[in-house]
Amino acid sequence: MPAHTASDSDEVEDIELVKRSQTGDMRAFDALVTRYRGRVYAMTYHLVQNETEAWDLAQEAFIKAWRAIAGFKLDASFYTWLYRIAHNVTYDWLRKRKIQGDGEFDDERTDHRVAAGAETVPTAFAAPDVAMKRAELGERIQNAIAQLSPDHRQAVVLREVEGLSYEEIAEVMGSSIGTVMSRLFYARKKLQELLKDTYEHAT
Amino acid sequence: MNTPPEDHDLIRWLDDEMTNAERTAFESRLDADPKLKAEAEEMRQLSQSLRNHVPREMPVPHADFFNSQIQVRISQLEMDEQRAAARRGASSSWLGGFWMRLLIPAAALVMVGMGWLALHTPPAAGSVVVSIYTPDSRVQAATVENVEAQATVLLLEGLDAMPADQNVAGLSVHHAETDSALATTTLFGKDGQVLLVMGKDPHNQPLMFTHGNPRG
Repeated sequence: MPAHTASDSDEVEDIELVKRSQTGDMRAFDALVTRYRGRVYAMTYHLVQNETEAWDLAQEAFIKAWRAIAGFKLDASFYTWLYRIAHNVTYDWLRKRKIQGDGEFDDERTDHRVAAGAETVPTAFAAPDVAMKRAELGERIQNAIAQLSPDHRQAVVLREVEGLSYEEIAEVMGSSIGTVMSRLFYARKKLQELLKDTYEHAT
Repeated sequence: MNTPPEDHDLIRWLDDEMTNAERTAFESRLDADPKLKAEAEEMRQLSQSLRNHVPREMPVPHADFFNSQIQVRISQLEMDEQRAAARRGASSSWLGGFWMRLLIPAAALVMVGMGWLALHTPPAAGSVVVSIYTPDSRVQAATVENVEAQATVLLLEGLDAMPADQNVAGLSVHHAETDSALATTTLFGKDGQVLLVMGKDPHNQPLMFTHGNPRG
């Protein structure tokens, strides 16, 4: 399960902020929101592929977290706990959308928008043409992910972006490990097919 | 959905979910099967691209507003809960049988009157201002107006739930007649008796007349 990075080890530890939040300290909780909003938003965005919905769902996750934080026993990292809440909120939303059957998640759909800033920021300054190619590739990959079914998209995001193990993905998605492997296999095959031209042009 | 075991092996190899023994055995298979090896290489390339190009963290649009809205929504939820708790506590006290019998028909009459007034008051140019006074400070009133539908909906929050065994009789209106000359509307019962006459006084304030007990 993804853990909080140590880049801000000089800041107040999560555990301290959580304990203060449990006593009703809204400022401490606000600090946790600031610390993790980017990751929660990225997760919801990758799953729903819509900026506005992802923004709302990320907020919903934090609100649920605040209301449940008194019962958080600190037996996992705060982010792991928050991540499960965010995932459940998003998964419920996806499930309701699927039931409504509005065609939003049709695998054939190809007109998804890509969020501004969704491309990975290069770790070093790259030449403009290289940076542009990277951005284009990132956009194509995002578009391809958007065309996957919700279950396939979820499996790929949890594995490739969040780095969860099969066991953790199965737990989060409420499915068997065999199903997780199947979803990963078919999701990757579909992505290969969708990105075939991209790779052929790259070589 | 099931995939053949060899596909699971490929996936598990790719995701480093194999034991050392399984990995060695599978890599021997890859060496012996060029087609499988090519597929494994393509999948590995794809996996690497995903990790490089799909961000794990993204800038949140309007980040400060994102935080402040969370606090606002939490405060609203907590206020709603406090109001609900207050209502639950109050419902078992003073608003008992006698007062309930008087208040509910009175509230119904007020609502009918306000609805009529809203429908018969020409809308002001550009906007309609509706002022509402609720004697009980726990009751919140709001209006939602739809100009196209020429309708105003009155929303009352904070009223006590009506007990299931409460026998409340409303106006059983059979038909209504409007007299444009007198600017009145008269409600009639099933047998033609007048239940209620609604009009406006010279100051444009609502007037209501009843004959006996309108609920019979």
